Amino acid sequence: MAELLYQHAEPEAVLSGTHFMDGNHAACEGAIAAGCRFAAGYPITPSTEIVERFAERAPHVGAMFIQMEDEIASSICLQGAVWGGLKAMTVTSGPGFSLMMEHTGYAAMTETPCVFVDVQRAGPSTGLPTLPAQGDMLQCRFGSHGDYEAIALCPSSVQECFDFMIEAFNLAEAYRVPVFFMMDECVGHMTEKLVIPDAREISVLGRRFTKKPPEEFLPYAPGEDLVPEMVKAGDGYRFHVTGLTHDERGYPSTTLATQRQLVVRLIEKIQRNAPKIWKWEERNLQGAEVAVISYGISARVALKAIELAKQDGIQAGLFRLITVWPFPGQRIQELATRVRAIVVPELNLRGQVANEVERAVQGRCPVVPVGHPGGGVHDPQDIFHAIKEALS
Amino acid sequence: MKMQESASIPKFTRKDLIPGGEVKWCPGCGDYAILASIQKILPELNTPRENFVFVSGIGCSSRFPYYMNTYGLHSIHGRAPAVATGVKLANPKLSVWVMTGDGDAMSIGGNHLIHALRRNLDLKIVMFNNEIYGLTKGQYSPTTQMGQVTKSSPYGVPDYPFSPLRLALGAGATFVARAFDVDGPHLQAILKEAALHKGSAFIEIWQNCVVFNDSVFDPIVSKESRPDHLLYLEEGQPLLFGKDKENAVISEEMSPRVVPASEAPKERLLVHKSGLQDPAYAFLVSGMTYPEFPVPMGIFRNVQSPAYDEILDGQVKKAKAKAKDNSFMALFDGLETWTIN
Repeated sequence: MAELLYQHAEPEAVLSGTHFMDGNHAACEGAIAAGCRFAAGYPITPSTEIVERFAERAPHVGAMFIQMEDEIASSICLQGAVWGGLKAMTVTSGPGFSLMMEHTGYAAMTETPCVFVDVQRAGPSTGLPTLPAQGDMLQCRFGSHGDYEAIALCPSSVQECFDFMIEAFNLAEAYRVPVFFMMDECVGHMTEKLVIPDAREISVLGRRFTKKPPEEFLPYAPGEDLVPEMVKAGDGYRFHVTGLTHDERGYPSTTLATQRQLVVRLIEKIQRNAPKIWKWEERNLQGAEVAVISYGISARVALKAIELAKQDGIQAGLFRLITVWPFPGQRIQELATRVRAIVVPELNLRGQVANEVERAVQGRCPVVPVGHPGGGVHDPQDIFHAIKEALS
Repeated sequence: MKMQESASIPKFTRKDLIPGGEVKWCPGCGDYAILASIQKILPELNTPRENFVFVSGIGCSSRFPYYMNTYGLHSIHGRAPAVATGVKLANPKLSVWVMTGDGDAMSIGGNHLIHALRRNLDLKIVMFNNEIYGLTKGQYSPTTQMGQVTKSSPYGVPDYPFSPLRLALGAGATFVARAFDVDGPHLQAILKEAALHKGSAFIEIWQNCVVFNDSVFDPIVSKESRPDHLLYLEEGQPLLFGKDKENAVISEEMSPRVVPASEAPKERLLVHKSGLQDPAYAFLVSGMTYPEFPVPMGIFRNVQSPAYDEILDGQVKKAKAKAKDNSFMALFDGLETWTIN
């Protein structure tokens, strides 16, 4: 099994220092610091600033940006670049994300490490291009056909756009999955303080290239952690990559046995390692009567509601999801035994994450979703009222 | 210097390219001839075997990478040019080939194809044209002839077919050629020229689908038909055909016309030139279709233009050479700031 080799970021690629920057630009800097050297994209609001900055920075950090003919092409072109040896990402928003679903599945099936950035805007369809939503949270999890597991992270500040983008690339390399960096328009366009640390303080996970001799190497033979090792085109190893159900050699094998072995492993390599992947933030949950579970920009709005509750004599705390997928269900189940109610504000109307919370809670306490159609953020009063109602 | 370099490249043979295992095309399929031709010419290209990458989409043609002992990416229906773009840009020393079919390239992947060609990225795009969807067992494709009855066109195809060559020319491909499965030496010569071309190369190969569209090209490519209905394009040679080269193609009001060679006015006799920058001649010749005209086979266009990877490389050098203000304010200001006085 290839060990996980963390190195520090390339000093000449990292803009160490204190900045005043928006989330989109910070996400771009995070990607560059993480070693991303290839980006493919198609212009779409409100995400384009990420690739615009990448295009300008590219020659100075030995990277490349290509504007492809559409999002379908962008999301598969980057996978070609990964098999050519680079770390790669694509950047989009709702309508473009819908077009990419074909290739999120391909990345999952072929175990191509890569990052999809979705700066969420209100939908369905063209919706509100310049305004926020959190309506793609199930799409990133279930958007492509068939069974697979993916990883999704939600930053809620400019600093996190930088920090967790590095995490996103590291997770992609560690588990060889597409990682979804689920921003929202607010976080993308919000300008605030960003501290970029010294390159030596940034841990970057290198690709898990095999050390086996070519004659012994099997491209899809998993290691102990269920993740196979990689090679790249041109280095003397041979590989065959296919979206068809394949055996350890990477060749199609259309039998039930191979299907079971492969797809179960694709799911288990994430489920089994989930506790290592999970990240969340807890605030004021000690002794809280109500837990507010949220993510992205909504979690910041929720803080105001928690303050209003406190003024009203209600102890409420925040459980902020950073990793939304794989979902930290065990932790939430445990939380449900300690609070009287859970409130889940998010910028979609059908409780995309609230339903998952409810599934984890299994009736241990009431779960109150606080929906929103997108196009703005919650009024903190609405979340506050939900907290009050949840207790009544 | 060059000789030393080539001497250091490990030699390989046709046999090294055969991975073993069963080739799962129907017996008698034209794809076998294309596979054999590629396996024959690759060792002659002075490129190490580990630098070859074959990328495909979905379809019978797209099974090609399975049967090559090189790097292979069997991707998604229509998307091979986009995948190949990523591979080539990530590592420009690789020789990247796209193996595709008429459905894969002209229908679902049409957009990717034209943009890959337009960028003049150094990719070799080989399109197997059998004028049918074979893998799904016989539906009409964008190159199936109008009126033809297929499983999905029981009353005849109501669409006008694409001319793959004209599509490629229109997209600005710098190398455009056509060959057919049963003339191996000609096919190999064309593939070799394409491999040597720096920039996007598009090669249409007529390939007989023995099961779902059998003999569709026979009126042109069968041994008996060839003299009267097929015209091999030869650089610098007039367009003459027939058993005794008794017929000529002349240009009349910017269109081709067939006349007896003895009556062809010299100034209007078409002489083949693939190196013309203006694609008008290539467009004219590629429009010659059966039964009105002899169908041309060969290289329609072969011109040099800077390739995408070369252009990008130039940009990187230029950007790096330019003293770069890496200060935060310079980045923050970017390109679109102004001062109001």
